[in-house]
Amino acid sequence: MKHFIERPRFTCALGGAIATVTALPRAIHILHAPPGCAGNTAWTQMGGCGLQVGGYCGGISIPGTNVQEREVVFGGSDRLQEQIQNTLKVMDADLYVVLTSCVTEIIGDDVDSVIAPFQNDETQIISAETGGFKGNSYLGYEIVLESILKNYVTRGEATVKGRVNLWGIAPSFDVFWRGNLEGLRQLLSRLGLEVNTFFTMDDHLDGIRHASSAQLNIVVSDVFGWQAAKISQEVHGIPYVVSPLPIGPSASDLFLRRVGEALGLSEELIEAVITTENQRYYKLLEPLTDCYNDMDLQRYAAVVGDSNYATAITAFLENDFGWLPQVIVITDTLMEEQQERIVNRLSSLKSGRIPKIIFKGDLTDIAKSIKEHWEGSQTRYGKYVNALSPAFVVGSSLDRPLAQELGAAHLSISFPVSNRAVIDRGYTGYQGGLRLIEDLISAIIVNR
Amino acid sequence: MSYFLQKEPPRREQRLNACIASGGNLSDMTNRKMRCCVPDGERTFTQNNICLLLPALGMMNSIPNSVVLMHGAVGCGSSSHGGNVGVRAGNNHRWGVIKDGTWLSTALNESDVICGGEEKLEAAIREIDEHYKPMIVFVVTGCVPGIIGDDVDGVVQRIQPEIAANILPVHCEGFKTKIWATAYDAVYHAIGRVMLQDTSENLALKKPEKATVNLMNVSSMGRVDELELERLLHTLGLEVNIFPVFSKPEKMYAMTHADLSISTCPTHDDYLLKHLQEKYGIPFVLKHMPIGIGNTSEWLRNVAAFFQLENQVEKIIEEEEAELETALQEFKAFFKGKKVFVSAGEFRALATAILLAELGFEVVAVRSFHHDEFADSEYEKLSKITAKDFPLNIANCQPFEEANLIRRVKPDLFLGHMNGNSTAAKLGIATNVIYNVGLQFVGYQGAYQLARRLYRQLTNPGFNQNISKWVQLPYSEDWYQQDPFAHIKQSEGEV
Ligand code: SF4
Repeated sequence: MKHFIERPRFTCALGGAIATVTALPRAIHILHAPPGCAGNTAWTQMGGCGLQVGGYCGGISIPGTNVQEREVVFGGSDRLQEQIQNTLKVMDADLYVVLTSCVTEIIGDDVDSVIAPFQNDETQIISAETGGFKGNSYLGYEIVLESILKNYVTRGEATVKGRVNLWGIAPSFDVFWRGNLEGLRQLLSRLGLEVNTFFTMDDHLDGIRHASSAQLNIVVSDVFGWQAAKISQEVHGIPYVVSPLPIGPSASDLFLRRVGEALGLSEELIEAVITTENQRYYKLLEPLTDCYNDMDLQRYAAVVGDSNYATAITAFLENDFGWLPQVIVITDTLMEEQQERIVNRLSSLKSGRIPKIIFKGDLTDIAKSIKEHWEGSQTRYGKYVNALSPAFVVGSSLDRPLAQELGAAHLSISFPVSNRAVIDRGYTGYQGGLRLIEDLISAIIVNR
Repeated sequence: MSYFLQKEPPRREQRLNACIASGGNLSDMTNRKMRCCVPDGERTFTQNNICLLLPALGMMNSIPNSVVLMHGAVGCGSSSHGGNVGVRAGNNHRWGVIKDGTWLSTALNESDVICGGEEKLEAAIREIDEHYKPMIVFVVTGCVPGIIGDDVDGVVQRIQPEIAANILPVHCEGFKTKIWATAYDAVYHAIGRVMLQDTSENLALKKPEKATVNLMNVSSMGRVDELELERLLHTLGLEVNIFPVFSKPEKMYAMTHADLSISTCPTHDDYLLKHLQEKYGIPFVLKHMPIGIGNTSEWLRNVAAFFQLENQVEKIIEEEEAELETALQEFKAFFKGKKVFVSAGEFRALATAILLAELGFEVVAVRSFHHDEFADSEYEKLSKITAKDFPLNIANCQPFEEANLIRRVKPDLFLGHMNGNSTAAKLGIATNVIYNVGLQFVGYQGAYQLARRLYRQLTNPGFNQNISKWVQLPYSEDWYQQDPFAHIKQSEGEV
């Protein structure tokens, strides 16, 4: 095994936590960290998150202790205490989240005892241990959710029928997070559900505070958001259901059925929604039929992305769009059982074909595996060559040189996305499938 | 003892008495010089910003045939995703090929924190040497190895004989300094110690026949800016070599052959230039930044004086200034009396403020990221040209102070560093970036191009005006009623 990762496609737990708190409505972080971690996250967002940097309070506006050697030697609790006290005066938020860093965790500051005296009815302040060495940015998202569920969300609330929470999409590091969350809210509202997505324009702290009144928690990921769901089950007694990120009609059909079943909704209602949505989707797709066929827009595909996108996009391309995904590279660090889940997921495509599945996060390794597969799949008889062409690479902006080598078109979807501007575009649901088709085809015909 | 004999460079807080916290007026700074600022002084409330790692990576990622190995948690250095944008453009502008930087991380995890990361680092360096075969491996330390006590220099020293690449340890532990300009010292230190050795390859490098200068660029200038300075230096008949960004490792030693080293920003370069003088006898000029009309001329004059080209340079300057002056006429009436607020690295902020005054703007406030002695002369120039007192704030970003000040001085225009314009923008002020390697800022041409951009921005500041109506900054209303410098700790000694 190699002892490094080339150009990792995520940042650390603290970076993920920073982005997550930035995305919470009316919340502000207090970093108990050395001076560079917020700026490091801002530059990461500037280069990798579709030109979205910060939010209400992000980037270099985030309050922090800026610990130095003095604190490393003598401890940073006093500095944190002073910082919190003044943050409450200078900043304007309804929830403060203290996030720890590599440095302050290693020196062992006791954050909880510093924040305890500040907690009262007027001041909501919680903390999360997000030292960067703990893991990647997805873990940071998970740790913040965990802290919110344990320390902020009220306990013992009565269940409200039809109310659900939705997790599994990490702000910023799913570059299309806003649109993806919004798409799922809209989809679920077709079933009459009230959806708490925590991070969109339509969410608010009050909803988050009362997340414990939900009837069901929905996790749209085979990896992210599981911890939150488990904790919510333990602490608030709310059951959860897991689905892959639903992109396009096939996955959305399954998603609606699974959620409907878990909530005991009438089958009739669900099937009616599914029928209407499919009708709408295919009617909208209808005018593309001429060009799709005449221009021969079917492609062999290599899909590179985090565990959410790699599986969801592959399923969409194969099941809905009639493309031929060949190699799937999952780029985030996964445990064995998580890898198994992904393999199972990708082994149940409609066609029964199983693409090559690779778990790698290092740029050179990724490119090498895909090229090897491409070369290995080629047959040649004299001047007759059967290669995986025409081809498409759906990945991140780092995969552009690979696409060029394969002579493939390319679209950046998974972090980092440096070459697209994203505001609230999303790929989830039926609508999201249409957005994805627009973007894929636009990439092919860019010189038309 | 030369700093270059030590493993790491000193913090700028120590070496230069640099400071990051002061609030007052321009006149305080001009009269009291360094005494207005408490070294290592701080605030009772701070915002997080960047650490020296970020600008250091910006330099290292640009070096051809190098690999940057971040030794730290997986997040340290993910800023390279942002920096890579500049690397791609920089490669394209110089060699016509779009090429990414190559950065790697040892991704230290919980068990490395407990057991130490030295073994992982050693294995990583060996693998990189074998698979990437680079000329340079930058081994960059973030906070984690600094705290757990990895002996990075020890590892490097021990294995270097078995490694083909030059290994350059670069210390960028963010908790060790708040002055991120230390980044330049950190990278220069590593280059000076390893790449400027008298190896047989280096000694075989041919010395230039014509008068040659080192032009220093630590990535604060894009290729367009370099071209402008090359143009000016060529008019004096000088050959120009640019270091260190985008400079080929095998040519770095050539900087010891120059007749003169020229800084484009004293904040950046003093550390290396003094070393080049001490060790290789290369004199330097470390005065003025070629931003602004007067400053560009002064900068050029200084260089010319060294080569005794005084008469020649006066003619060049006269022609350049006259041509520029005519070209600027169409903007000047429009700019006249418009109020401008400037915020950036100290020298850049001051030089740009002086340029804005030259263009006819009224400078109403200046913020500098830190303060050290190099800038004293610029404060004097600024107060001479503005002939008016106004708020001056030394702050390593701290946009809360900025927001408060902006509401008080109500500028028409704000020029801030990258990531430093959104506060003003959300307050509805027209903004323009003071530093972005894709744009032109330097020399006579830079002054003109900046004027063009400002004219465009001021003609329709609609984006910022609209956004300000609907979004709020994250500060309490109460904060705006406070003194903007209320959180700066006062010096205990004599002021
Ligand atoms: S952990 Fe230290 S080196 Fe890494 S980004 Fe934060 S301040 Fe900089």
